Amino acid sequence: MPTFVYMTDCDGCGECVDICPSNIMQIDPTHRRAVNIEPNFCWECYSCVKACPQNAIDVRGYADFAPLGHSVRVLREPENNTVSWKIKFRDGREKNFKSPIRTTKWGSIKSPADYEVPDQDAFKSQELSHEPEALHVDSLPTWSSDIIKTGAG
Amino acid sequence: MFTSNPFADLAAFLPPIAMQVYIILMLIAVVVGTIADMLHKSSGKYFAQRQKEAKAAATRELSSGDKVTLALKTLAVEVATAGEFCNQQRRISHVLMFYGFIFYLVTTVAMVFVYPTHATPTPTFIPLLWNIGVIMVLIGGYWFFFFLRVNVMNGGQPMFRLVLADLFIVTLLLSVTFAFIWAYVQTGDNLIATRIAFGLYILFSTLLFCSVKWSKLAHMFFKPVVAFQRRVEEASGASALPEPTPSSKRS
Repeated sequence: MPTFVYMTDCDGCGECVDICPSNIMQIDPTHRRAVNIEPNFCWECYSCVKACPQNAIDVRGYADFAPLGHSVRVLREPENNTVSWKIKFRDGREKNFKSPIRTTKWGSIKSPADYEVPDQDAFKSQELSHEPEALHVDSLPTWSSDIIKTGAG
Repeated sequence: MFTSNPFADLAAFLPPIAMQVYIILMLIAVVVGTIADMLHKSSGKYFAQRQKEAKAAATRELSSGDKVTLALKTLAVEVATAGEFCNQQRRISHVLMFYGFIFYLVTTVAMVFVYPTHATPTPTFIPLLWNIGVIMVLIGGYWFFFFLRVNVMNGGQPMFRLVLADLFIVTLLLSVTFAFIWAYVQTGDNLIATRIAFGLYILFSTLLFCSVKWSKLAHMFFKPVVAFQRRVEEASGASALPEPTPSSKRS
């Protein structure tokens, strides 16, 4: 179920653009509001839905369960550590879900842009970005040909 | 410069009636542009549909007093202090532009219609307010244009790549910038420089007010109405959003 934006509710803050992992939440060149430019490529992670401070992003349900007249709305309340979903079906039924969200303070995690840009040698390393310090260990086990069992004859 | 009426000096090469007719034409252009924009987007039709659906979904009826309270809250939060912005820098920039533009507009109309020549001396606070308004728009506007535009800051687009969404801010900034330059140049004796600056001021002002159908100038009228409707939906229980977590359950 890809996401879409209510243009009248969006204030063009760019939170969804920053958080979208597939870079499909972009800024519309006519209205300077957020828009999902490629719903087919939406991962349906709903990061943008939960990140939107204006509750301006909604989910377009698949036609088999939520055709015309449905709505899937979300309310993120970081001060309560909850995220709530309200699903309205076309026949009027309504389902409500409330889930805990992470307790890390919203916005306290550094964005990739806040880290130092790694140099080209980092590409030759077996370690991923900011390992091992991001894993809170001194070092990771390393691989070498000596540890491969070659087998006998 | 800050306390003299720039429009009174215009009489040297332009009769006061010309500027008065120009302002009336620009007012008509804004009204026509707003109506054309509404018809093109069918925004009036969709808004009426939204109101109808909200009324049908309402779980409680609001009294006239409730609606007045909501209207006052909308006026105080969304209109007067640009409360819809979650980014505080954008909020301050918008407030500067909003009040600056109102000061600039009201004092321009007052100076052109009430004090068009030096024969009717202008109270010093009016040109002073005009200059303050212009400076507020310039600070808020250039701050927004260079540092806060979301397609530049978050979308990663080049700063000087202009798109249709920039039509309003660019014409507003150029119009007000040349108003300021013209008011300054006019204090000297160079009539050619004055006429060039004034010509550019009028050119970009005309673009600003005649491009309403394509720009976002009309958001000044739409946004408060939508903000009020949103408050009505929340208060009447018609909002599609989940119920907020009761405060007793808060951690």
